[in-house]
Amino acid sequence: MYTIALVGNPNSGKTTLFNALTGSNQHVGNWPGVTVERKEGKFRFKDQFYKVVDLPGTYSLGAFSEDEIIARDFILKGDPDLVINVVDATNIERNLYLTTQLLEMGVKVIVALNMMDEAEQRKISFDLANLSVKLGAPIVPVVASRRKGIEQLLETAVSSIEKQLDYKVFISYGRELDGKIARIEKVLAQKEVGYPSHWLAIKLLEGDEYVLDLVSESDLSPRELELLSFSRQNGAYELELVDKRYEFINQITGSTVFRPQKPVQIKTDKIDKIVTHKYLGLPIFGLIMLGMFQLTFVLGEDLLGDSVADAIGIFGEYAEALLLNLNAPAWLGSFVANGVIGGVGAVVEFVPLIVILYMLMGVLEDSGYMARAAYVMDNVMRSLGLQGKTFIPMIVGFGCNVPGIMATRTLESKKDRMIAILINPFMSCGAKLPIYLVFIAAFFPNNGGLVLFLVYSLGILIALLMGKIFGETLFPGEVSHFIMELPPYRKPTLRNVVRNMWDNVSGFLTRAGTTIFAVVSSLWVLAVLPGGVQPYGPESFLGRIGLLIAPIFRPAGFGNWQAAVGLFSGIAAKEAVVATLGMVYAGVEEGAELVAAIKAAFTPLTAASFMIMTLLYTPCAATIATIRKETRSNVWALFTALYTFLIGWVMAVLVYQVGSFLGFA
Amino acid sequence: MLKELLKAVRDGDYVSKSALAEQFARPVPFIEAGLAELVRMDYLQESENLQLCDLPCGKCPYTGFCSQTPFKTITVTEKGERLLRTLSYKETRP
Ligand SMILES: Nc1nc2c(ncn2[C@@H]2O[C@H](COP(=O)(O)OP(=O)(O)OP(=O)(O)O)[C@@H](O)[C@H]2O)c(=O)[nH]1
Ligand SMILES: [Mg+2]
Repeated sequence: MYTIALVGNPNSGKTTLFNALTGSNQHVGNWPGVTVERKEGKFRFKDQFYKVVDLPGTYSLGAFSEDEIIARDFILKGDPDLVINVVDATNIERNLYLTTQLLEMGVKVIVALNMMDEAEQRKISFDLANLSVKLGAPIVPVVASRRKGIEQLLETAVSSIEKQLDYKVFISYGRELDGKIARIEKVLAQKEVGYPSHWLAIKLLEGDEYVLDLVSESDLSPRELELLSFSRQNGAYELELVDKRYEFINQITGSTVFRPQKPVQIKTDKIDKIVTHKYLGLPIFGLIMLGMFQLTFVLGEDLLGDSVADAIGIFGEYAEALLLNLNAPAWLGSFVANGVIGGVGAVVEFVPLIVILYMLMGVLEDSGYMARAAYVMDNVMRSLGLQGKTFIPMIVGFGCNVPGIMATRTLESKKDRMIAILINPFMSCGAKLPIYLVFIAAFFPNNGGLVLFLVYSLGILIALLMGKIFGETLFPGEVSHFIMELPPYRKPTLRNVVRNMWDNVSGFLTRAGTTIFAVVSSLWVLAVLPGGVQPYGPESFLGRIGLLIAPIFRPAGFGNWQAAVGLFSGIAAKEAVVATLGMVYAGVEEGAELVAAIKAAFTPLTAASFMIMTLLYTPCAATIATIRKETRSNVWALFTALYTFLIGWVMAVLVYQVGSFLGFA
Repeated sequence: MLKELLKAVRDGDYVSKSALAEQFARPVPFIEAGLAELVRMDYLQESENLQLCDLPCGKCPYTGFCSQTPFKTITVTEKGERLLRTLSYKETRP
């Protein structure tokens, strides 16, 4: 019985072809590395049985990975009568690299040019007759998944098995290397090594350990060993050989594979020339962000504060009335109306707007622009002597600082990593958004986009500044180098965007329901105790805590105890700030709406200084814990908590004092 | 060509496969294949940002609003740098 081996790159369709040939049902998957060991099967063709072996996918037949070794071993030792090389037609240049190696091994090869349907769809066409001659192997186009071309493939396979091997095409590796190969070949030809000496010679030059051992075992005279010794300069010629193979592939595909010049790519390059421009790149990034924030408010304007807030207010009153009707104790009614609905509701009110903002950000990410933004920022950071890659954790930090800090693991140097960790909290995380939105609704309803843009930009600016300072003081040292890949632009798909949005919203609501509820509940207890004092008043435990801290913020203009309590709860979790404010204000004046209460308690100037404080001050407990874990140091965690607070306070005071001086108070 | 590709990667500000394709007058898949080969032979190192969006994030409700952009960065490895140094040495020799 003849044996046929299926060899090809990962994900080229070997198993699909195997199943088509044998009628079996092996696992097929749309990702590389599905088949990890060889599978055998049988089929009958023209009254003759054949054994087929499905091998793991490999890009090359070196000794780099387990898969390569399994495939190579089988080809060398399993003694197949024919190798069917499954080639993905849509990626033929890469796939042919393996083909050239198979041919050099001196095994009988026919090429099954698979995925012809995909290639057709992408308008890739081939001059197969010509390519086959140049390659020196028969080529049969197939669509394995639809069993198209299988008959023809089998015909070719059978006739190839019976024919003499007639691979005549040799890749020239240049005069020098060809000469070396010929000399080694001559030595090896007289030995009984068992493998084609041309292939062995090439592998020796590549510095292939396995072949080196193999050859050393055969009895070579000292002179012969001497001759082979230059191949011991491990891999000295490796790149040269690979390079020449690619050159060969380029030569033979140049006139036989036709691809449409993709207009998308040309467009991508044109856009990139502008958006990654040395001077224009940064302003364009700024404009895009500003546009995104503005659009958020255009789309979500009606939702801000108004209808949703009203609905929540009505729901709160209704719930309290219902509880009273049911003879529930008064404290329960107060807890539900003020604590839960006043607190959690205050956050939920802003969910539609947050969803819109993150949906737009998702569109930007999906389109491929974010990679350009990171590149532009990379340039800015490099000019400040910072590692540009740091911007990637910073972008992650816009969602949440915890994964942002974890993302610094991709930075190799300790210096870069420490700086990236220390400045990440200045990236305004998603949980701070509702805080800004409350104040925007109260004081800047017509300039929401601009205000948000300024807040976020200030965060980035402070981060860069602190990064520079840390780089020069705490962690001096070299900046390491990296290059970023810019993927082609894509049209964001509605499905993707909607799905992400849905995931985010549902996740948000469930988690907000739990965390915010927990924080608000415990603060509620503090707000109504001790018994006998006015609940939610300055005499309550919560009020007393607030009064204790409030003086610190007097220079920044918001020395009231409610604001202090809000910031205090923000150290536990940023999403609790608005909920806390909602609760303390809702409790004081029955049913008071948070935005209205804020309007009464703040001025536009103190609102600005409060927002800046929120942006910059001590990150939430989870972030600090992560910093502690990632730096393995209590000192750095404490340092971050304190220095961010200090920076926030200084900036808030600065804004308030300068603003007052200029007459904005 | 691979040596030139390695050099282009090192000297470039960023890697755009289509721009490299234009520079070398080869189709994009060819450039992709070349880069992949350089990575496989350890002249270049590719890294993607960690997929962090599934992390619990201290139970923060905003976990989901996380950057999904896969950033791919490429660094020339020690081995790659060594090769480039010998190349430039050869070039500057009279
Ligand atoms: N469009 C199209 N898809 C195909 C064709 N042949 C296979 N596929 C698909 O390509 C994917 C990979 O197929 P597999 O057969 O698992 O590939 P493999 O070469 O065995 O992959 P590994 O075992 O990982 O090396 C699957 O999703 C197949 O359905 C084809 O001719 N046309
Ligand atoms: Mg498979």
